[in-house]
Amino acid sequence: MSAEPHILVIDDELQIQRAIRTILTEKGFRVTTASSGEEGLALAAASEPDIIILDLGLPDMDGVEVCSRLREWTQTPIIILSVRDSERDKVGALDKGADDYLTKPFGIEELLARVRVALRHALRAQKQGTQSKAVKAGDLTIDLVWHIVKRGEEQVKLTGTEYKLLAYLAANHGRVLTHQSILTHVWDPADADHTEYLRVYMRQLRKKLEEDPERPQHILTEPGIGYRFIADE
Amino acid sequence: MKLPAYLSAAWQYFFPAALIALTTLLFFALRDYLDTTLVALLYLIPIGVITTTSGFTPGIISAVFSFFAFNYFFIEPYYTLAVHRPLDLVILTIFLVVSVVLSRLVGRAQAGLAAANAREREATQLYELSTALAGLHGEYTVAQILGKRVAALSQGEYLEVNIAGSQPVQFGMPSTTPPNRPPELSIPIQAARSTLGEILLWRSKPPISTGETRLIQIFASQAALALERARLAQAESRAKVLEESDRLKSAILSSVSHELRTPLSTIKAAASSLRGNEVGWDSPARVELVAAIDDESDHLNMLVGNLLDMSRIESGALKPKREWNILSEIVGSVTARMKYSAEEHKVEIEIPESLPFVPVDYVQMEQVFTNLISNSVKYAPPNSLIRIRAEVEGECVRVQVSNQGPQIPPEHLERIFDKFYRVTEADRVTGTGLGLSICKGIIEAHGGKIWAENLRDGLAFNFTLPLTWEGSPPPQLPMDTEVE
Repeated sequence: MSAEPHILVIDDELQIQRAIRTILTEKGFRVTTASSGEEGLALAAASEPDIIILDLGLPDMDGVEVCSRLREWTQTPIIILSVRDSERDKVGALDKGADDYLTKPFGIEELLARVRVALRHALRAQKQGTQSKAVKAGDLTIDLVWHIVKRGEEQVKLTGTEYKLLAYLAANHGRVLTHQSILTHVWDPADADHTEYLRVYMRQLRKKLEEDPERPQHILTEPGIGYRFIADE
Repeated sequence: MKLPAYLSAAWQYFFPAALIALTTLLFFALRDYLDTTLVALLYLIPIGVITTTSGFTPGIISAVFSFFAFNYFFIEPYYTLAVHRPLDLVILTIFLVVSVVLSRLVGRAQAGLAAANAREREATQLYELSTALAGLHGEYTVAQILGKRVAALSQGEYLEVNIAGSQPVQFGMPSTTPPNRPPELSIPIQAARSTLGEILLWRSKPPISTGETRLIQIFASQAALALERARLAQAESRAKVLEESDRLKSAILSSVSHELRTPLSTIKAAASSLRGNEVGWDSPARVELVAAIDDESDHLNMLVGNLLDMSRIESGALKPKREWNILSEIVGSVTARMKYSAEEHKVEIEIPESLPFVPVDYVQMEQVFTNLISNSVKYAPPNSLIRIRAEVEGECVRVQVSNQGPQIPPEHLERIFDKFYRVTEADRVTGTGLGLSICKGIIEAHGGKIWAENLRDGLAFNFTLPLTWEGSPPPQLPMDTEVE
């Protein structure tokens, strides 16, 4: 990876392109833009960006399709941009291999946070086997090697499923995880529709881990999409 | 008395013969006392009776029969058909002529009466049809009425009434499927400008008469009139709906343009002053202006979202993506997100841990709670309590969001869920006036009910949500409790 991470923005709205390019260039990224799905796919193949920001509403093809065509040959992180109320499309793109999403209109901190998380996960994926050993989030410590969860100095007792769920969330901290991906990963592909499992176990986990389970700080719900675990950077 | 056809035909000829024979027998017994001329006159009575009751042909037959009987029994020489006296010949000739003329006259009068009766029957049927058709608004009901009348009239094997824009109406009498041959009669239902449908009748025996065909044609034109009337009425009510929705649209436009311009003005003012270097880089005003742009664009986003939701509800495109959800999780994430906008109020959540799963669309239910809480925040005084409660009530879960804000006059309680309806002056509170009607749309799409009620110290929004989803009750999960 070169010194300045390279970001490819695929969005047909020129104002959005302009805003993202200005801000990301300011923040030390190199930005390339494409206005259509075909152009985006070509540029992605030609310039091998570090991150792709992809709008779902493109003039020439479905954003979800762009996503799955990219995933045929590259693992470059993809961040989806879309308008509100298109949860189905977002989930579709995420399940097709996109890494995260942002709802338009979005704040720039959000965009930068997503970009940072995506870069970190890409880096980790490159250096195989360097899975982080422990994740810290506030007063929580999750030791992924020894399977120990501590709140402050005190060890938190979790059931098998609870731990498996927490470990999956923590290993992917900062990223959105769809219901389906959590259910297939922690439970079984056959359980992919049983969001109620998730609801129950998330409530249990929040009760054991969060200061105020009704207003969680670490295990966040992404309405209609899934969950996101927030850890310290 | 109704007889089988062959019996009634036989009776038609047997009755004149019997009557003439009987009369002849009677006259024969009285032959010595009666004058020949009188007998001839008396014979005219049964001929008249026969023509009246049985018609023209039996009348003529009985006239001829009487002629021979009269000649045979009453004109000398008896028991032969020979005639000796010239006077008798005259009597006989006159008798034949008179009796035939009589038969013909009476028969014609008879036929005229039958035709008049038939016409009256037709008129009655037509009248009944047009009364039945008056005031009908649907193509299908017109087809049904028409079919029923034609069926009663025609007594066919099978009848089908097809009207464009409606499913066909079929009458099987007695067959239940159309016979495997083209219909014997097919009559179009013809309006002034186009053919609206057709009547198909299968009846091989007896063949359909021209009278019946004509009547069915008249029925068809009556039906065409009724259909045109129905179409006009529909067009009129459509026009009314359009007019109403037009009025609503201009209300929306004026409300929306006002609402959208307010945040836009703030953004424009703040952005242009920042751009014009009128505000120094280190001025605290700079932070204020940037915050205003940020807040107002969020506000604008929310307004646009509300409008989209509303149009989706209106067009029926709002389909809940149901999942078994935990209500307290939804409420929790809404109150967490609204921490700042509701910071001047105390929000209390009373949702029992034991509340079963509810089959709802997570995102839409968030919207409902967001709208109800922000409505409470808007109207209830600062530092007052907003309480969110839920409990199982029969097959439903009942949720209440209550506040200590001003009560609403009872006559407004239902109307606050209407679009753009406000109890207070529009200028005093911001918002599109869509929040509560969106809640109503979402709750109803979930199969629930929403209503407002005045409490002793405030106002409450209540809604119910069904606990069953496609007939299944909330799931019970097997939990692992064993700690690692």
